Amino acid sequence: MFDTKIRVAAACAALALAGTYATAADVDYTKMTPQELAEYLIFEAKGYKFDAQVQTEGATAKDRLVQDELQKVCTETRNKPSPEQAAKISAAARESIKYPEGDIKLGDWKKGRELAWSGFGYRLDPNFDDHKKSAPGANCYNCHEFAGDRQGGTIGPSLRNYGKLRGTEQPVLKLAYGIIYNAHSMFPCTRMPRQGAKGLLTEAQILDVMAYLFDPESPVNKE
Amino acid sequence: MLRKLLVAVPLAAAMAGPASAGPSDDPAAVLQALIDSTSSYYLTQSEQNLMMMPDNPALWSLEEGEALFKTPRGPKNVSLEGCDFGKGPGVLEGAYVELPRYFKDTGKVMDLGNRLIHCMKTLQGFPADDPAVKEIHGSKSDHMKLQTYIAAQSNGMPWNPPMDHPLEKAMRDAGEVVFYRRSGPFDFNCAACHGEPGKRVRASVLPYAQDPKEWTKAISWPAFRVGQDNTRSSQHRLRECIWQMRYPPIVAGSDLSIALLSYWTELARGQPAIIPDMKR
Ligand code: HEC
Repeated sequence: MFDTKIRVAAACAALALAGTYATAADVDYTKMTPQELAEYLIFEAKGYKFDAQVQTEGATAKDRLVQDELQKVCTETRNKPSPEQAAKISAAARESIKYPEGDIKLGDWKKGRELAWSGFGYRLDPNFDDHKKSAPGANCYNCHEFAGDRQGGTIGPSLRNYGKLRGTEQPVLKLAYGIIYNAHSMFPCTRMPRQGAKGLLTEAQILDVMAYLFDPESPVNKE
Repeated sequence: MLRKLLVAVPLAAAMAGPASAGPSDDPAAVLQALIDSTSSYYLTQSEQNLMMMPDNPALWSLEEGEALFKTPRGPKNVSLEGCDFGKGPGVLEGAYVELPRYFKDTGKVMDLGNRLIHCMKTLQGFPADDPAVKEIHGSKSDHMKLQTYIAAQSNGMPWNPPMDHPLEKAMRDAGEVVFYRRSGPFDFNCAACHGEPGKRVRASVLPYAQDPKEWTKAISWPAFRVGQDNTRSSQHRLRECIWQMRYPPIVAGSDLSIALLSYWTELARGQPAIIPDMKR
């Protein structure tokens, strides 16, 4: 009787703790593999605020931490998939690409330039990006250089003179569209986000960004 | 004026440099010695910050922190001088470069922030929701003042997180997994931006995680963030990168955050801490 009371009290205390602060009370971290412990810290020990507001309706903050097949393989191989894994990844990525109907027609390079520059979108608390106030950008400049007008990052290759060097034949445009839509189709386990496959950019937005890359009038091709 | 403060910091007179056994009183000298020993655009990217180091506004945090540390406070009206940061009650010299570490009294691996909270609650009797305990960000918070003072007592000393207890190893190894784990809408992991030397995100030069001489500056917090006009902590930097990654916010002090800090400290092992530092 007395015993039960104590146990109930202890259980309540544990619950109260779990609600506010991560606790290792009942699990032995040293008995887990590093992978198991990492998953535990993320999903069980409340390492991230899963109740944070997100932009996508019907989705949760927790969803963002659940890995899909591609993320798993690229994590396990530290972005160096075996030839077999790489073949599977690029096949699945090609499969994911939805091309525009008919010929690819470039959009508006000025809109594309602003999209490429904008790093807005999908960031959560403590500084939530409200997509109702402003549409998400494409983040390209973070990693790429485009032209001399604005300083771009160096994580990805420079895209200066992109169209001038390649021309604007349909196969060239199709290739570029595929890379922006899902770059793993060409470069398995690349660090580039899957702009189309993950629904980050619409078809029209991808065509605007492509105009920035290919349009002879775009600053990218004017140097 | 601020130069005087620096000299007033009660530290051993050891000179800066990776080999020094005790702390140094001059973060700028520690950084300069590093710069001279390697070639890194990350270390030298802001000439202005280098020049400003002697007048680093974080030195005010440090000074205020020293006073707070020594003042009897909280319901129990005692100072933090009896707090054990891993090297015995009241021992601050070299304590920060050995964090996170395992603490027997809590059975947990803790970072400086968690340890401070622990002592504020147990030693000083502060309730968990007192602003002293709860407000962890910004130059005005007790936390940032105290953390800057305590961490500065390790300036110039090599990072040396203990790996004697199995929990310390478990946390570090889980932290490594998290560092490389790709997820989120952009498929990012930490290595996406810190996995190659000499890269930039727009104009920001990124520290390379596998270069201990760059990484020691990267993890040298508290630092004054010029762009934010505030003294900031490791936990704050972590929160910012996680935000850029489009992840849900990380819980400061959670075991997940400690695991990441354990791994990132391991990556700088042997290189001298620069505290307080200045960053963009
Ligand atoms: C999308 C790119 C990106 C990702 C992903 C990223 N960071 Fe960062 N990180 C940055 C940028 C940009 C800076 C600021 C560098 C500067 O100002 O020179 C930075 C700074 C840092 C610093 C401090 C160095 C400084 O000078 O401010 C640390 C430590 C750090 N990141 C760790 C991490 C960890 C750990 C992760 C994974 C949880 C991570 N980063 C993920 C872009 C990133």
